[in-house]
Amino acid sequence: MTLSGDTAIRGGMNDDVALAAAGDAFAFERVYRTHVARIHSLTRRMLGNHEADEVTQDIFVRTWQKLGQFRGDSAFSTWLHRLAVNVVIERRRSFAIQRERMADDPSALDLVTVAPARADLIVDFEHAIEQLPPGAREIFVLHDVEGYKHREIAVLLDITSGTSKRQLHRARMLMRKHLSGL
Amino acid sequence: MTMHDEWTDKLSDYLDDELQDSERAAVEAHLRGCPACSAVLNDLQRVIARAQAAAGAVHPPQNDLWVGVAGRIDRIRQPRRVSFTVAQLAAAAVLIAAVSGGLVWQLVPSPGSPNGLRNETTAPGEVAQAFPGLPERGTREGGRSAGAGDAIGILGVSLADDQYDAAVADLEQALKQGRGKLDTATIAIVEQNLQTIDQAIAQAREALAADPANSYLSGHLVEARRRKLDLLRRATALTDMD
Repeated sequence: MTLSGDTAIRGGMNDDVALAAAGDAFAFERVYRTHVARIHSLTRRMLGNHEADEVTQDIFVRTWQKLGQFRGDSAFSTWLHRLAVNVVIERRRSFAIQRERMADDPSALDLVTVAPARADLIVDFEHAIEQLPPGAREIFVLHDVEGYKHREIAVLLDITSGTSKRQLHRARMLMRKHLSGL
Repeated sequence: MTMHDEWTDKLSDYLDDELQDSERAAVEAHLRGCPACSAVLNDLQRVIARAQAAAGAVHPPQNDLWVGVAGRIDRIRQPRRVSFTVAQLAAAAVLIAAVSGGLVWQLVPSPGSPNGLRNETTAPGEVAQAFPGLPERGTREGGRSAGAGDAIGILGVSLADDQYDAAVADLEQALKQGRGKLDTATIAIVEQNLQTIDQAIAQAREALAADPANSYLSGHLVEARRRKLDLLRRATALTDMD
């Protein structure tokens, strides 16, 4: 005997987006509940646990404000995801440490050396992402998890494609070190 | 930088197909004769595969963040001027009356019901038995037989704390007694959802304490309480099934 899931909520997605765009806050809550897990996972991976809650709220407030601009040219989830990435990047820029984090630092390869001790491989992987240096972490998440291209990342982060490639390789080598326990 | 580093630094670009043809051929030639670099390549492939798998493994936040979002968008919404037509207002009034009536009907305790809530087949006259202190207006005052409309008129507001808390307590007790009939996965889902709803209720109460006039937060609190009641009813109903 099991309890059914929230398929009914998912089924009303398009209607809810339209209703929310017209100012229906209850419809917007349903939109929020449908997408919050993915958006929170994105912010947690890119910014870490301590900032993920606040930035997730910022993202949905911004979504509410900009819903009127969503024309349905792409899937709503794609539109929301792009908006979320922009909010995350704005947050990073507000700290004015972007350039420092993007600097190549070979010693950072020693930061992540602890082998996974827990059995849960997914949790281990998330834990390893959290331990990446912020600059490498952003690019690793955008490229390898979220599927962005280097040229897109370069525009989003205001860096060169070459920097994006170097940071990605750096992140992968750190992840390799962690996962293999070297 | 060792000679291996020179090659391994190219491996990500190699995997992402970012190398020129000549560079690609050179890397492949090196890999054929270098087990160490081939091992690194395999490890990097594993990392990429894990990252792609992680994209589908998303987890909701531990706290319900909606109350914070709702409070902020309510402040954004307030300056907006909203107007309704007479027909829209009339329709809204009918809807509110219907919803309120439905909630009262569901929340009136029935003496024969283990969860303290009215069965849909409960006769309106049983209201008086459940609430002996209340006047039976239909029979004693007007000389009419009691009907559903009378029951709603007698009992008034349905989500008062005492009545709601009693209904929740009864359902929780029934669920506790019947949880042995549920599988562990279902119990886990129910408990997780109850925890989330309880957090939402607590956060809504806290937010309302700071902003008592916020109508959206009031609505959110009522909705969260209704969800809890509904979840408990559904879970309790599962324990009654064979």
